[in-house]
Amino acid sequence: MALLDPIKKPLTLQQAAHLLRRATFGPSPAQIQQFTGQTPQAAVSALLATTPTPAPPVDPLTTKPFNTLPFDPLQQGNWQGATKYWWIGLMLNEGASLREKMTLFWQNHFVSTFNEVSDARYMYRQNTVLRRHALGSFRSFVIDMTKDPAMLRYLNGNQNVAGKPNENYGRELQELFTIGRGNYSEDDVKAAARVLTGWTETGYRSATTGDVTTTFKAAQHDTTDKVFSDAYQKTVIKGRTGTTAGDDELGDLVDMILKQPETARFLVRKLYRWFINADLTPDIELNFIEPLAKVFRDGGYEIKTVLTALLTSQHFYDDALRGAVVKSPVELTLGTLRYFGITAPDPVANPMGFTQLTAYVWSRSRDLQQDIMDQPTVFGWRPYYDTGHYELWINSTTLALRGLYTDQVAAGNVKYGADKLTLDPVVLAQRTADPSDPVKLIDEWSAQFFATDLTKSQRDFLIDNVLVSGLPRYEWTAEWLTYASAPTDKSKLMAVRTKLNTTLQFMFRMAEYQLN
Amino acid sequence: MLLPVFIDGFGAKAFGSPNSAFMEALVNLATTTDRVLVMIQLNGGNDGLNMVIPLDQMSQYNTLRSNIALPEARVLKLNGNGTTGLHTAMTGLQSLYNDGMLSIVHSVSYPTPNFSHFRASDIWFTGADSNQTLTTGWTGRYLNQEWPGYPVGFPTKDTPDPLAIQIGYITSTAFAGPAGPMAVAIPNPDTFAQLVGDKPQIDSGTVTNTPAGKHVAYIRQQQLSSVAYAAQIKVAAGKGKNLATYPTGNSLAEQLKIVSRLIHGGLQTRVYYVTIGGFDTHAEQVTATDTTVGNHANLMRTLSDAIRSFQDDLKLQGIDDRVAGMTFSEFGRRAISNASRGTDHGAAAPLFVFGKGVKTQVVGKNPNLSDLDNNNIRMQTDFRQVYAALLADWLGEGQPEMATVLQRSFDASPIFRQTITATEPAPVAFRLYPNPASDQVLLETDTFSAGIDRVALYDPAGRRVGVAVNRLTDHALGLNVQALAAGTYIVSVESGSKRLTERLVVAR
Repeated sequence: MALLDPIKKPLTLQQAAHLLRRATFGPSPAQIQQFTGQTPQAAVSALLATTPTPAPPVDPLTTKPFNTLPFDPLQQGNWQGATKYWWIGLMLNEGASLREKMTLFWQNHFVSTFNEVSDARYMYRQNTVLRRHALGSFRSFVIDMTKDPAMLRYLNGNQNVAGKPNENYGRELQELFTIGRGNYSEDDVKAAARVLTGWTETGYRSATTGDVTTTFKAAQHDTTDKVFSDAYQKTVIKGRTGTTAGDDELGDLVDMILKQPETARFLVRKLYRWFINADLTPDIELNFIEPLAKVFRDGGYEIKTVLTALLTSQHFYDDALRGAVVKSPVELTLGTLRYFGITAPDPVANPMGFTQLTAYVWSRSRDLQQDIMDQPTVFGWRPYYDTGHYELWINSTTLALRGLYTDQVAAGNVKYGADKLTLDPVVLAQRTADPSDPVKLIDEWSAQFFATDLTKSQRDFLIDNVLVSGLPRYEWTAEWLTYASAPTDKSKLMAVRTKLNTTLQFMFRMAEYQLN
Repeated sequence: MLLPVFIDGFGAKAFGSPNSAFMEALVNLATTTDRVLVMIQLNGGNDGLNMVIPLDQMSQYNTLRSNIALPEARVLKLNGNGTTGLHTAMTGLQSLYNDGMLSIVHSVSYPTPNFSHFRASDIWFTGADSNQTLTTGWTGRYLNQEWPGYPVGFPTKDTPDPLAIQIGYITSTAFAGPAGPMAVAIPNPDTFAQLVGDKPQIDSGTVTNTPAGKHVAYIRQQQLSSVAYAAQIKVAAGKGKNLATYPTGNSLAEQLKIVSRLIHGGLQTRVYYVTIGGFDTHAEQVTATDTTVGNHANLMRTLSDAIRSFQDDLKLQGIDDRVAGMTFSEFGRRAISNASRGTDHGAAAPLFVFGKGVKTQVVGKNPNLSDLDNNNIRMQTDFRQVYAALLADWLGEGQPEMATVLQRSFDASPIFRQTITATEPAPVAFRLYPNPASDQVLLETDTFSAGIDRVALYDPAGRRVGVAVNRLTDHALGLNVQALAAGTYIVSVESGSKRLTERLVVAR
């Protein structure tokens, strides 16, 4: 069976959970149930469905949007935080959809950072471009990104003028955003830079206007012909003049790059590492990357097409690849909350609660080395490209901090506004088939929390050394039934809740919980 | 095999956030004491009435539990105590009592006892009232008071070691602090030390040959080194030596052996916690032919032999005056036995406190078996009075701190105090001079024959303040108050069971 062949049989519970773990920031038990029994095609189509465009972030002090206001140096830090928290809120509150997971993929692909750009209005605007194209046409995406004000600043496209080209963007466009290193020459970098001369942005840190725009200055555009190397079949992009020159030449440049099979391969490999596994063996190259790249290119670089093929493929559902991804920090922080159905309050009605919860999740993710919209370099987060890959997320410090986070969350110690994070393990236990049976309870929880199967001795350990810790198993049954017969008795409730909480914290600290 | 899977426990903490000067300042408030508390949990509800036997009520004892009653002749007698004996298998504790190092606290419980294992355990762990639920443990609150903010910013230069160590996989609710567990759980320091070595050996056989299996192996390896105290524990485990012979095949002795080794090895950990299970003896706690043998007898022997050898070890190591231990169980069992030669969940039961510091060997009296409450033994001592004794008289917490930890003030059970029979002479306050002072203060008293045990300083808000103390003679101390802000402080001096306070003004 070819790796890319679609599977058509309805999803098992495990397959549904696997799909949702990879395609979203983590499922709730209800979502897993809802996707179980659907065909992969129907499931992926639901994940790709268009969702309403989110409202812009608001200043938590005024509860008003700030993206159309003039720049305010005193508010920059506040707005920067608000933008990041706003995005965390979208990720946390989103239903079963690929949109935010893909928006983050693209933010890590077309990297720009607050650290460099330093204007929240620019970064917000770029984020809307990422989201608008996240599941759309890659061609339009590259074109809009090239002209994006934040990107023009981040990679100095705004300083790229005829006679004195700045090659930064022309290089990264090829090396990181499209065709990949080794597939173009230094002359191609120079030629691309000349194609891109004349673009600039206006409104940067302007105290007088809230308008952030891109403009093309024809006078600063290099109007000579640009000749590319053998890597691009010696393509010549004809030099144009006038106001449409920039767009016309950019379109030609992008078409030239997208025509190259390496471009589709490069992008598909990156998707592979985002959704499936870090290890690209020769077999995977030949039998998965190659045909998937062809699907992408033949389909006119429609992102939905390539994602559908990837997420419905035999290979994606290979049991041996469950747990092949180490949860990224946001997958861990958001996934744990999403599993319990925790959502952020409305940012306008409850700005304090919204900010405290999303800031908490953001700062814990940042401590774990994943600061959204602030990658350390233009290459993005190391685990997606560097030797070691996902395991780079894990070291003794981050692992202990991961444990500290899940402890805090499970213990219900996190307050936001008037609310308190409460993950009620008793409710969670009640949703299992027979919570009074410790074997069934642990079996079901293990199946839901972990991407991989625990061994019987691990499950026995969880029952005997953690859940009932030292007592005979029937004592669990007795305790649970005592509680169930008087569910409003607080002390009976606490008797079982404490045990379940301990068990949750323990399970969340297991190595297996770090895998997706 | 399972060890590496779970070794992280969840007491293990990171080298978390950076230390702040404020944190350091708070940390320095911790009471200077080298005393150690060892808690031994008897999990499942121990049958106290077959552990400590009321020799003065044997006929009623036999009536209530004829199928499991120990024969009077086989009950172990205690020196100078004609009314109370120990289980036949407890020769070790018998000798410990006769050596003056064991205290029996009779009928410990709390008002309106609970009969659920989990709930009753939580009450003991948290120190809650029966109708109240708390989410922090009593030792957790004690440690948090001494080392606020833990685990964030720890370990520090001054506190390089874990505050508390539990031998096991998960930490008890007793250690739950406001920000998480205040203890580190380690299953076994030997395997632990091996595993945290430079090149951790992970049994690859336990993980599958998939990307997930590879990640799991990698993460487990990192989990080992994520225990912030790994190096310290390893050093102590290497330096410490067991000098006594421990019984073999005794799970409790195995754990206590680790504890004495770590203390001997110089670990400055204040509380250790070990557990032994199997006390839920609903059936066949004795054999059909001989009530002095069977499951409960085995547990009694295990407990007794383990504590005796532990105490012997501490003595040989020369650290026995630093260590006190207590046993506890979530409840006792019914005074009346059931038909399956077992006992069901009950209420009050005796507990033991042991160590060289023990002064009162019997607290309370035998339970009155003719005055039961639904076949349950009535409470004489609230378990929090025992905690109060451990906090105030052993670990040196002041009255306000003890009351904070236990939510209100409890009269400390007189375990570590001489029971006072004669009329006490009116205490004369100690002398402090100069007063007001700005640097050196001399503290002198001649009223205490036993000398000065502990000194603590409190600011006007009742917070304990760290101060350098040097002992000049048994009856005189020098205090250096140079680092203190100007203001009025309370100096509290403790000697034996007496505590005196005096006002000290620091002027600048």
